[in-house]
Amino acid sequence: MIELKHVSKWLTIGGVRTFLLKDVNLTIKEGEFVSIMGPSGSGKSTLLNVMGMLDEFDEGEYNFLHEAVHKLKEKHRSALYKKYIGFVFQAYHLIDELTVYENIETPLIYSDSKTGERKAIVADILDRFQIVGKKDLFPTQLSGGQQQLVGIARALVGKPKLILADEPTGNLNSKQGEEIMDLFKKLNEEDGVTIIQVTHSEKNAEYGSRIIHLLDGRIERIEEK
Amino acid sequence: MYSFINVFGLAVGITSCILIGLYITDELSYDKFNINSSRLLRVVHQTSHEGEIENGAVTGTKAGPQLKRTFSFIEDYARLINSSRIVKYKDRQFTEKRVLYADAPFFKMFSFNLIEGNPATVLNSPNQVVLTQTMATKYFGDENPVGKTLNFGSRGDYIVTGVCKDAPGNSQIRFDFVASFTSLPVSKTEEWWTQNYITYTLLNKETNIASAQKQIDSYMRTSISAELKMTGGDYLTYVLEPLLSVHLHSANGGLEPNGNINYVYIMFAIGLLILIIACINYTNLATAQSATRLGEIGMRKVMGARRGQLFLQFVGESGLITFIALVLALVASTSLLPIFNNITGKALTTSVLFAPLPILAMLLLSVLVSFIACAYPAFILSGMGLSKILKTGFSFSKSGNGLRKTLIVAQFVISVFLIIATIVVQRQLHFMQNKDLGYDKEHLLVLPLDNSSLNNYEGYKAGLKLVPGVQSVTSAYETPTYIGWGDMIKKTSESTDKGISVNALPVDMDFVNTLKIPIVAGSNFTRADLALLDTSNGGKNYRYPFIINESLCKQLGYSPEEAINKTIYKNNPGIIKAVVKDFHFTSLHETIKPLALFLNNEMLYSTFIRIGSPDVTATVDKIGAYWKQRVPSRPFEYHFLDEDYNKLYIAEQKTASIFSLFAAIALILACLGLFGLAAFTTLQRTKEIGVRKVLGASISNIVNLLCREFLQLVIIAFVIATPIAWITSNKWLQDFAYRISIGWVIFAAAGIAVLLITLLTVGYHAIKAALSNPVKSLRTE
Repeated sequence: MIELKHVSKWLTIGGVRTFLLKDVNLTIKEGEFVSIMGPSGSGKSTLLNVMGMLDEFDEGEYNFLHEAVHKLKEKHRSALYKKYIGFVFQAYHLIDELTVYENIETPLIYSDSKTGERKAIVADILDRFQIVGKKDLFPTQLSGGQQQLVGIARALVGKPKLILADEPTGNLNSKQGEEIMDLFKKLNEEDGVTIIQVTHSEKNAEYGSRIIHLLDGRIERIEEK
Repeated sequence: MYSFINVFGLAVGITSCILIGLYITDELSYDKFNINSSRLLRVVHQTSHEGEIENGAVTGTKAGPQLKRTFSFIEDYARLINSSRIVKYKDRQFTEKRVLYADAPFFKMFSFNLIEGNPATVLNSPNQVVLTQTMATKYFGDENPVGKTLNFGSRGDYIVTGVCKDAPGNSQIRFDFVASFTSLPVSKTEEWWTQNYITYTLLNKETNIASAQKQIDSYMRTSISAELKMTGGDYLTYVLEPLLSVHLHSANGGLEPNGNINYVYIMFAIGLLILIIACINYTNLATAQSATRLGEIGMRKVMGARRGQLFLQFVGESGLITFIALVLALVASTSLLPIFNNITGKALTTSVLFAPLPILAMLLLSVLVSFIACAYPAFILSGMGLSKILKTGFSFSKSGNGLRKTLIVAQFVISVFLIIATIVVQRQLHFMQNKDLGYDKEHLLVLPLDNSSLNNYEGYKAGLKLVPGVQSVTSAYETPTYIGWGDMIKKTSESTDKGISVNALPVDMDFVNTLKIPIVAGSNFTRADLALLDTSNGGKNYRYPFIINESLCKQLGYSPEEAINKTIYKNNPGIIKAVVKDFHFTSLHETIKPLALFLNNEMLYSTFIRIGSPDVTATVDKIGAYWKQRVPSRPFEYHFLDEDYNKLYIAEQKTASIFSLFAAIALILACLGLFGLAAFTTLQRTKEIGVRKVLGASISNIVNLLCREFLQLVIIAFVIATPIAWITSNKWLQDFAYRISIGWVIFAAAGIAVLLITLLTVGYHAIKAALSNPVKSLRTE
């Protein structure tokens, strides 16, 4: 599904190149659950953003579902991630002005689904996450765990093949974090959604079938389970 | 950038207020420089004829002297009439249009300060003249003019007895020369009826106007009405009009065109609105900007700043910005004043601004403005709880958003209103300037006709016709753009015939054909008609040849064909030679009234020359050459008839320019506010935009999202402003007998224009935000 070949990304400050990613080679198959670990500044989030096509890279090749991402134009790239990728963030990034229902509905609006269809899909997902009763609340009225639940629901509503999660439990207490991780596991096992997560927690990393350790923009080692 | 918008916006607002303030001050100060202003009264005639009451600012020569003789409370009077004279001193010769003839007490009654000469004697015998300083320099240079002689052409020589300061710009009476009234032949007799003179009286200090008015009324309505053999309740009386109310409140024009108190109110409202817009912007931007300073405020609070101290800090900053804006505004208004003067037709100076009182007023105003403008953000922010500031950080309350939106809507209501008003005024002006008047006003050259040319009129006219490029030539008493001569036409000679009130104009034979007025029935005057003007035998066989318009024909009860060769009476009998189609002979404020043109060879004062050649300039030059040879005593001064016509609408032109100016300012200010607020909102929503992009929003989705909010506000403003503008414009248009109808196109145009401007203003930020990389805005740290 994801194939990174010799991917590098750098910043040039005062004529000196600082590598954010250096010669990254990585293949991830459909249905995998991968964790990315590493100290702060090791390039975890950058790698995730590159895979999510939110960020560009300077060198190398990236094939996503057999499409050569590095050759695609911005418009096609965004069409691609819109269709196949859902994002989950540490700070949830829900839109404060919108209700739970509207937050979940937003990606569908941008993928031009019909109103009736949208309603059915959102209702379905609300039901599945057992948050029907909260659909008219605003994000600020929810606890952190509940907000992240909504964040995941929003990521899943477009039926993506891949979920990219950037420290999804970073702002949650351990109990809430566990619930979220269990949910990811379930999604991966039952629905076959590919999941790539960035995490600091050894415990949460264990949920993945592979753990990729990054250091200074390079893959230090890959831990297979 | 916020600071720039703040200072610039406020400066524009204050500049507008200063200019408007100067304008209003000037209008309100009219004639107040006269020390006796509260006792100076203009004598307005009022006649009642068969129940129809008519007022006018002019009187006969008798009104002044008779009132003074009869009533002890009239201390003095001055009759005034403005004339045009050719003035000559040695080799310097000019046509002067503001030669005022006035009675001897003129300089005692009014405060036009004499630099040379004794106010009591400068005008007390015939052929004396007082010059303004400007004229003294124009004719005499550095010489002292007193005692020298000026030649007034056929009117003889005048001795200069004094020099006075130029009449102030805010005077109802303005002049370049003041000559003694006794120089005029008409001063030798006293008449009630030949009403051409503006009469001012000076009331004594003990009498109030109301009681003076009462006594004059009873005297005029009884003794004088009897003397004038007026019957059946008809009367002639005089209404005393205070000098101070002439300029802004009088319906009767005088020596100078009147102002209008309504325009003063409108200008005041506009000035206030613009200041409000500027303050709204300020408040909006200050509130917006303060959000980015929450950290700072939090820190200050942590370090122990009290609420009052924070509040003072805000007010102080705001005061500084207002002060900078005020200084900028003073500089700007000083440099823009000439342009503003040009638009308003005034001669305002900023000198009045730099006196202690106005400066104090402006400082007070700016303190007030800075207080009002910063009060909201200062109050809210300084009052916010510390934990709330540190916790919520960047986010801002929804109620604040509501207020900011309301303020934006308010200023767009004002802008849309002014835009629509401007379009309506401009359209009406365009309509009037281009309306088919019923005659062809283009390519008609107007020349004065003086006595020497009139004495040999046929020869003079024939010579003009021979000039290459001249198509035809005619002369009349006054110009067809404004025929003011009022008269009475009767269908029969019987005294019981009430008659029809008409306008009339003495013309020569070629009037109708030169102006290209279509004839409905009959035919134009011919040379044979001149024989009807038989003055022998005491004028017993004198017959007027008439050409009447359709309106008069209708009132007479004839069809155009029937009317031909019918006899009608204008004192003497006359014969209708032709009926012409109605044409506009006054401004389009009025409907077309009955009109009688009558053939005459003596009361002709203006010549109209239709130029047929496409090379107008060359033809004018040739006419000029003919003039120099024919009328060497007088400079060749010409203009075109369409200029006369456009002069009828000077007030409307001024209104149009002023509205355009301030509509533009209001719109610029509103856009500045919008621009700043859009920048702020996008900043506030950076995170949201990032999230939406990640969720799949395209660039157009984002732009749409950001613009939609502002467009909604503008649409709400449009909906509010439209009915207000519609009602006001219609009210303004009621003043015109011929007017445009306000179609939806005007509103659509204004709406689309405002929407486009909004899109451009907001679009810049929206596109910038939409193109930004979401990764940056979504970093968690």
